Amino acid sequence: MSNFIVRKAAVLGAGVMGAQIAAHLVNADVPVVLFDLPAREGDPNGIVNKALDGLIKLEPSPLATKDRVAYIDAANYEQHLDRLGTCDLIIEAIAEKMEWKDDLYQKIAPFISPNAIIASNTSGLSINRLSQGLPEALRAQFCGIHFFNPPRYMHLVELIATQSTAPELLDKLESWLVSRLGKGVVRALDTPNFVANRVGVFSILAVMHHTQQFGLGFDVVDALTGPLIGRPKSATYRTADVVGLDTMAHVIKTMQDTLPDDPWHVFYAVPAWLSALIAQGALGQKTRCGIFKKEGQAIRVFDLATQEYRDSVVDIAPELLAILKNRNPVEKFAQLRFCEHPQAQFLWAIFRDIFHYAAFHLADIADNARDLDFAMRWGFGWTQGPLESWQAAGWSAIAEAVKADIDAGRAMCSAALPAWVFSRDGVHSAAGSYSASADDIRPRSALPVYQRQIFPERVLGENPVAGTTVWENEGVRLWILPQLDSEIAIVSVKSKNHTLGRDVIIGMREAITRAEADFQGLVVWHEAPFALGANLKEVVEAITAGQFEMLEAYVGEFQNAALALKYAKLPVVAAVQGMALGGGCEFLMHCAKRVVALESYIGLVEAGVGLIPAGGGCKEFAIRAWQLAAKTGGNDPFEFIQPVFSTIAMATVSKSGAQAKELGFVLDTDKVVFNANELLYVALREARGMAEAGYCPKLSPRNIKVAGRTGIANCEMMLANMKEGGMISAYDYLVAKYVATALCGGDVETGSLVDEAWLLTVERKLFVELLKNEKTRQRIQYTLETGKPLRN
Amino acid sequence: MSKQIQEAYIVAATRLPVAKRKGMFGYVRPDDMLAHAIKSVMAQAPGLDPALVEDVIVGCAMPEAEQGMNVARIGLLLAGLPNTVPGITINRFCSSGVQAVADAAARIRLGEADVMVAAGTETMSLLNQMMGNKIAMNPAIFEKDENYAIAFGMGLTAEKVAAQWKISREDQDAFAVASHQKACAAIQAGHFKAEISPYPIKSHVPNLKTGEVMINDYLADTDEGPRPDSSLERLAKLKPVFSARGSVTAGNSSQMSDGAAAVLLVSEKILKQYKLKPLARFAGFAVAGVPPQIMGIGPVEAIPRVLKQTGISQQDVDWFELNEAFAAQSLAVMRTLDLDPAKVNPLGGAIALGHPLGATGAVRTATLVHGLQRTKQRYGMVTMCIGTGMGAAGLFEAMF
Repeated sequence: MSNFIVRKAAVLGAGVMGAQIAAHLVNADVPVVLFDLPAREGDPNGIVNKALDGLIKLEPSPLATKDRVAYIDAANYEQHLDRLGTCDLIIEAIAEKMEWKDDLYQKIAPFISPNAIIASNTSGLSINRLSQGLPEALRAQFCGIHFFNPPRYMHLVELIATQSTAPELLDKLESWLVSRLGKGVVRALDTPNFVANRVGVFSILAVMHHTQQFGLGFDVVDALTGPLIGRPKSATYRTADVVGLDTMAHVIKTMQDTLPDDPWHVFYAVPAWLSALIAQGALGQKTRCGIFKKEGQAIRVFDLATQEYRDSVVDIAPELLAILKNRNPVEKFAQLRFCEHPQAQFLWAIFRDIFHYAAFHLADIADNARDLDFAMRWGFGWTQGPLESWQAAGWSAIAEAVKADIDAGRAMCSAALPAWVFSRDGVHSAAGSYSASADDIRPRSALPVYQRQIFPERVLGENPVAGTTVWENEGVRLWILPQLDSEIAIVSVKSKNHTLGRDVIIGMREAITRAEADFQGLVVWHEAPFALGANLKEVVEAITAGQFEMLEAYVGEFQNAALALKYAKLPVVAAVQGMALGGGCEFLMHCAKRVVALESYIGLVEAGVGLIPAGGGCKEFAIRAWQLAAKTGGNDPFEFIQPVFSTIAMATVSKSGAQAKELGFVLDTDKVVFNANELLYVALREARGMAEAGYCPKLSPRNIKVAGRTGIANCEMMLANMKEGGMISAYDYLVAKYVATALCGGDVETGSLVDEAWLLTVERKLFVELLKNEKTRQRIQYTLETGKPLRN
Repeated sequence: MSKQIQEAYIVAATRLPVAKRKGMFGYVRPDDMLAHAIKSVMAQAPGLDPALVEDVIVGCAMPEAEQGMNVARIGLLLAGLPNTVPGITINRFCSSGVQAVADAAARIRLGEADVMVAAGTETMSLLNQMMGNKIAMNPAIFEKDENYAIAFGMGLTAEKVAAQWKISREDQDAFAVASHQKACAAIQAGHFKAEISPYPIKSHVPNLKTGEVMINDYLADTDEGPRPDSSLERLAKLKPVFSARGSVTAGNSSQMSDGAAAVLLVSEKILKQYKLKPLARFAGFAVAGVPPQIMGIGPVEAIPRVLKQTGISQQDVDWFELNEAFAAQSLAVMRTLDLDPAKVNPLGGAIALGHPLGATGAVRTATLVHGLQRTKQRYGMVTMCIGTGMGAAGLFEAMF
C-alpha cells in the first residue's frame, strides 16, 4: 500500500462541527482551508472568521493550543474554490439538506484534485445518495466520515462506504484517522443515522417512553441513567438540553421519515411535551431553558404532571442503589428484574428494550457486535455497549427474560428476537465478535495500524496481552513484552490513581537499578492517569506524628528517585496519558524523553495544597531558565522564571499534551501521540531508538546561575499586587513566595552559582517548612476529604 | 528664595499625534519620533541658528532598548541639529516631559542658557512590558511595611485612591466617556491642528504572497485614541482589572500609547534678537511626594506648591491639563482641590488621547500653550501624578 499523506485538508462548512473538525485537524498538524458561504456584507470570509474566533473562546477547547487556529485559512465558496486543488482530504460538514449538499458537490467537483478523498460528515443522510451528487469519476474517492460532537474529545468516527468507494481508500483513511487523529473508527453501513446515533437516539426515545410509563421525574431519570449505570454524568435529559431540544426533534424526525418499516417506528416521534417546550422556545442550554432551567444557583426541572418547572428532588430507592452496587452483573440484572420498585423496573425496561433493539438491528446496521458496542462507548460515552452489557449479565438468561417480556407485551415492540440470539451464549469472545449479517465471528481488523495498539480497548471476552514480569513490589511492576522488544523494560505503577507513595518510590529506584543492569531502555507506562501526585495520606500520617525529620528524608528519597530517572544509564521514556500532577509531573520531567497523549493534563499543583513542588520540579525549571538565559544576550534567568512562576503559583494544569509543551512540563523535542492506545508502542520505539543511537545521560549541571533575591522580589511584586487586589489570600502569597524562592535558587544574591544538589536542598527545606504550617495542613486535609482545593 | 535673572519663553511647541499601543506607531522608533519632534519645533523658529541650542533635555520614562543609550542625543543628531549641541535624557516617570520643560526653563532663568529644547518621547509598543524590558525589584522593598507599596502597580494605586476618596465606578465611567467626547469634538473642530506635526510613517512590511517588501506610506496626523462610540453602557460591561472587587477598568484608565513632543524655549534676549513671537512664559514648576500607594493624588500636593511659588491663585488658572492616568485619581484630585471641571482638560485627557508616559508632559504642554493662544486665556497648568508617589505641576502664562 502506498503511503497516505494529507498535506492539507479542506473543511466545507464552518458550523459547530465543521469548525471543530478543522480545529482537530490542525491539532494534528494538518493545515486546513475552512470554507463557508461568503458573508453578505463586510469581509467575504466573515462567517468563517467568526467561527475561528468562536474556536478560541470555546471551552473545553477544541484546539490543543490556541495558536493552532493560525493554521486554519478562512475561505468562501465564491472566491476560493481553486484552493481545493491542493487539498488531499475534503470533509463536507454543511447543514443536513440533500439539495444544498448536491449543489455544493456540483460546485466543488471541477476543483478537486484527482487523488483527493472527499467525505461527508452527514449524521444521517444516505451516503450512496450523496455520492450521486458527484461526477462518476470522483465517486470512488467519496465516503462518509461521521465525527461526534465535540470531535476533539469524542473518540468515535464512523466510516461509511458507498457502493463505489474504493476499499483501499477506506483502509488508508481508517489508518490515518486512528493514528494521526487518534480516533476510534467503526465501519458503519449506509443505513439511516448509521450505528451510534441509530442505537443512541433509540435509547433516548426508550428512556422518554419509560419515564412516562413509570411516572418518573426527569431529574430522577437522569440520576438513574447516568454514572449509576455506566453512562455519562449528563445522562439523558441533560444531554438533550446540551444537544438542543430542537436538534433532538430533528434527529427523531429523520428516523421517522427514513425508517418507515422499522418495527419501532411508532416510537420515532417527538413526545407532545417535548414539542410543547420547543414551541415555547425552551430549546435547552442555548436558550438557558429546556428540560432543566437554571434560576440563580438552583436547577429547576420541567414537571410532566404540572407542565411547570419545580425544584429538583432526586430520591433514589436505597434497595435499588444496593442492587446497582453489586459488582456481579449476572446477579445485578437478575435483582433488577425482580425488584418491584418502579425505579428498578424502569431500569430493567430501558435495558430490555435497548437489548431487544440492538439484537434485532445488528444485522442491518453494523458488521458485528464489537462495532455496535464500540460505537456506543465512543459515540455516547457508555462504559459498555448494550450487547456486552447483555453478555456480562448472562446471555441466555437475559435472552429468555427479554423474550418473556416481548411475549407478555411488556416490551416496547412485539418483534421477535432474531433466532441467532438463542443459538449462542454471547456475541464477544477471544476469537472475535459475532456478525449477524454474516452469521460468523469477526476477528479484529488486520490493518497494520492496529499493531501499534498493544493494549487496545477490549470488549468483554477478549484477553489482554500479559507481558512477562521481571520484578515487582507493592508499588511498581517491572516487566517486558518479549514479543515486541525483550530488551526494553516497562515499569508500571500499581497504586490507586497511581499516587506516588513510599512503595512506588522504593520500587522505582529498584526498577531503574535492575533495568540498568539487564536492559537497553526503560519505559514508564500504565493506563491513565499517569499519576495524581505524592501520596498525601502518608504525608498526613507523618505530620500527625510530628515526624518532620522523617518527612524531609522522605522528600529526599523522592528527589533521589527523580534523579535516578534522570541519570539512569539507559534512556528512560515516560509514556503519559490523563492527569500527571505534582510528583507525577516531576517524575516525567526527569525522564530522558516524554511521549504524551494529546489528552494529557499535566501540572505542578502543589500550591493548591499549600506546598511547593519539591521532587525536583522547581529545580528542573531553575536549571532550564539558566540554560535558556545563557543563550540570550541578557543572560538573565528570571526572564524564563517569570512565566513558570505564574504557572506553578497558580497550579496551572495543561489542557492538552501540546499545551504542556507551552507550559514547559514537556519539551519541544518530546512527542505528542494522538491515540493513547499507541502510547506504549511509541514509547518503546523511542527508547529503542535512543538506545540504538548510543544514549548516555547528561552530567549533572554545575555553576547554575540563579535569579536569586532580585528574582524573588520580582515575583513578590506580582504577589503584592494580587494580594492587595483581593485576588489571592495572604497564605497564597506566602506559598507562592516559597515557589519563587525555590525557582530562584534560594535567598541568595542574584547571579549566584549553584549546583543541582543545592537547588534540591532549597526545595526540600521550603517544603518541610510549609508542612509545619497549620494552614497547609488544613489545605491537605480538605483536599483529601473533598478532592477540592481550600483557599485559606 | 529665587535666583532667577531672566524669563524663559516658549516660542514653539509641537507634538506628533499620539498613537495607540501597537497602533499606527507600532513599528516606529522612539528616537525617530523624537527627531521628528525636534526638527519640527526648530522649523517653527526659522531664523534661529540651531547651533545656539545650549542643550536638549528629553523626558522618557523607560529609557532603555530603542529609547536607551541617551535617546536625547541620538534624537537631536537624527534631527539634524549640529553635533555641537548636547543632549540629556531625564526620567521622572509620567512627568518626565514637563520636567524637561521645567529644567530647560531653569537653565534659561538662571542665565546659563538662552536657547533650550525640551522634549519627551516614549514608545509603549516596542518595549515588552509596562516596567521596561527587565524587571529587577529590590528585595528590601518587601522587608518593611512602609516600603511595600513601592511594588504596587499603578492600577492598584488607582483602586486605593478610589476607595479612600470614595470615587464610584459610575463617576469614573462618566468621566471617561466625557474625556472621549471632548477629545472627539476637539478633533472634529480641528483644535489640535496647530500643535500637531504630522508624522510620515514609512513602514517596511513583508508581503508574504509576493515575497516583496512593501513600503507603507502613511501620514499620521490625528490622535488615534479617542473613541466616538464610547458610552456608559459599554464601559459598564468592562471588568475591573486590578482588584477582584474594584472599579478601575481598562475603560476608565489612560491608554498605553506612543508619542513625542518638543518645546523650544528662549530668553528675552533671543526673542528680541530673532524677533520671535512667544506663545507663553514659563511661570513655575513644582513636584511633591505622596505615599506610593495613593500616587494618583500627587497633584493635590504639587498644584498648591506651584501656585504658592508663583503667587498665582487657583482661580486665576484658566486651563488645567490634568493627566488622566485614571479617572479615579483625576476625580479625587479635582474634588479635593475643588478644581472647576469646565477648566480641566477641555479637549479631553489621557483616557481618550493616550498617555505615552515620559512624553506626556511635553505633549500636554504643546496642547496647553496652543489652547491658551486659541482661546485667548492667560494662565494654564500641566499637572500629573507620578509612579511611586509624586505629583508635578508646571504653570504657564500665555503671551499675546
